[in-house]
Amino acid sequence: MRILLVEDDLMIGEPLLDILRAEGYAVDWVRDGELADAALQSQSYDLALLDLGLPKRDGMAVLRALRGRKQRLPVLIATARDAVEQRIAGLDAGADDYVLKPFELDELLARIRALLRRASGRAEPVYEHMGVSLDPATHEALVDGKPVSLSAREWAVLEPLLARPGLVLSRQQLEEKLYSWKDEISSNAVEVYVHGLRKKLGAALIENVRGLGYRVPK
Amino acid sequence: MKTKPAPSLKRRLMVFLLAAISAAALVQGITAYRTALQEANEIFDYHMQQMALSLGGVNGGGRGSQDDLELVVQAWTAEGLQVFQSTARAGLPQRAVLGFADVEAEGRRYRVVSVQTGGQVVQVAQELVVRERLASRLALRTVTPIALMLPVLMLIVGWVVSRSLAPVERVRAQLAKRAAEDLSPVGEGGLPAEIKPMVQELNSLLGRVQQSFTAQQHFVADAAHELRSPLTALNLQVQALQRATDEPARAQAQNRLESGIARATHLVEQLLLLARQEADGSEHLPVALAPLLRQVMTDLTAAAQARRIDLGLLHTEALSTPGNAAALATLVRNLLGNAIKYTPEGGRVDVSLYAGEAGQSALIRIDDSGPGIAEADRGRVFDRFYRTADAAAQADAIPGSGLGLAIAKVIAEKHGARLTLGQAPSLGGLRVELGFRSATRIAP
Repeated sequence: MRILLVEDDLMIGEPLLDILRAEGYAVDWVRDGELADAALQSQSYDLALLDLGLPKRDGMAVLRALRGRKQRLPVLIATARDAVEQRIAGLDAGADDYVLKPFELDELLARIRALLRRASGRAEPVYEHMGVSLDPATHEALVDGKPVSLSAREWAVLEPLLARPGLVLSRQQLEEKLYSWKDEISSNAVEVYVHGLRKKLGAALIENVRGLGYRVPK
Repeated sequence: MKTKPAPSLKRRLMVFLLAAISAAALVQGITAYRTALQEANEIFDYHMQQMALSLGGVNGGGRGSQDDLELVVQAWTAEGLQVFQSTARAGLPQRAVLGFADVEAEGRRYRVVSVQTGGQVVQVAQELVVRERLASRLALRTVTPIALMLPVLMLIVGWVVSRSLAPVERVRAQLAKRAAEDLSPVGEGGLPAEIKPMVQELNSLLGRVQQSFTAQQHFVADAAHELRSPLTALNLQVQALQRATDEPARAQAQNRLESGIARATHLVEQLLLLARQEADGSEHLPVALAPLLRQVMTDLTAAAQARRIDLGLLHTEALSTPGNAAALATLVRNLLGNAIKYTPEGGRVDVSLYAGEAGQSALIRIDDSGPGIAEADRGRVFDRFYRTADAAAQADAIPGSGLGLAIAKVIAEKHGARLTLGQAPSLGGLRVELGFRSATRIAP
């Protein structure tokens, strides 16, 4: 899953970036409103974590522009603006959730998971399909009830596929889930991870649709 | 514990006014009574005389006595032969002396007038007891209206006093029923001229209290808001440290946590400094300005050298100004620290101290070769937590709490000094001037 982190404060952005990456998300971090606008227009994200008090362009303006372009990705506002009116304005401008700084990290991660889950059209917290279950909260993967150890990258490839069985994701789309801008992408990375996943979870779980990409059969 | 009740304006007015009215009525009553008595006497005398004169021509005939006045009339011929006596009981002596006299006869006192007319002597007498009774009845009738008016007057005075003091009571009631945080002005309509200025002063005080109350509320809200970011950072840095799996990641997380703590500490210290300066009421003693400048510049030399900034003292005077030395040092340090912080590496910062006319005032000037502050921002940079867009954009390179200039301004205000921003003519950057209204030349 790919997340855009919009946060101007270096001291908040740095640890948050590390933590989100450790959670298995591909994260891009921008530090002002204009860059956030540009990133949202050029890249495809599964979620935006948005601060409001930003240099150059306020977070609210970024949010309105985003919704004005009919982009539907979930937006979670994380800000120090605590007045009720501001929270209402944020939600009314198109945010899906609003957390106040200082937030509890575990709560923030849970909210991110909830928003991603809702965006993929599910209500249940655990992905379960063809005997494979993934729990994004604990990062526990089970095959027929037995725990299997997956690397963060393998997880990042499997999760979007398992989230919507039947949907074909191209190699490029999967690469976007894996890497943020600055990462060096090796040309066959996705193939490598798919291979690893098939070995651990069974070859039938991930189908190769020639010329199009990969899918988990419905 | 018993406390003496506060003196009541109303009670005092009532007591004094009613006492004065009573005394005046009493004096007036007594005077009126005595005047009436005296006048009654004169009227009776006149009456008796007229009667005697008129009887002279009658020659013993006609009406001999006047019942209501209880007059006794006697007439004699020139030879002393009594020709008429109105009543037998009187037994008044025949008076040879003409005119008025008080006479005693048979244990009673009489007022007597004798008149000689047409060969007769007519004597008219009236018993004094009777006369006094009649006179006092007359006098009492004069006094009665005064006595009747007294309670009416008292009621009117009481009403007027109560009515006049009603606005005071109204203001009191208005103040009594308001909530503790209600600092809105008290209604000034319909107040008498004596009370209006007091209420106006009260309202202006309430306004000032409201203002400082609001300022404090804003300050607390701002402070709470500003503390959220460093707290969020600390929280995340601790989490990152806990989650770090290898040694380099742990070392990095620890470094970040330390700088996060340093930042939060700095912010809290600045907040405390600001609050302390705002509450500072310390005595102002003469502070020598040139040594103070040198001390602060020495303290900041390392910071200037680290950024290869040429920091120099161009001009000084031997001047002192009344103030708090520590606070003034903080003020100069904040101004000079900003100049060093925002001037690009290799730049220049000039400090000078000038004397005003006859050494009665002093001016500290700090010029730098930095980017300056846009004119539109110059008014706002002294606001708490305000950082210009430029300062916010380079917040990583130049960390700041947004409180330095706010603290400087508070200290300047406490010293009655004027803090102005402008453009440094030769260096092109910011010019900060700190003008002290009073200064004294001292031995260098």
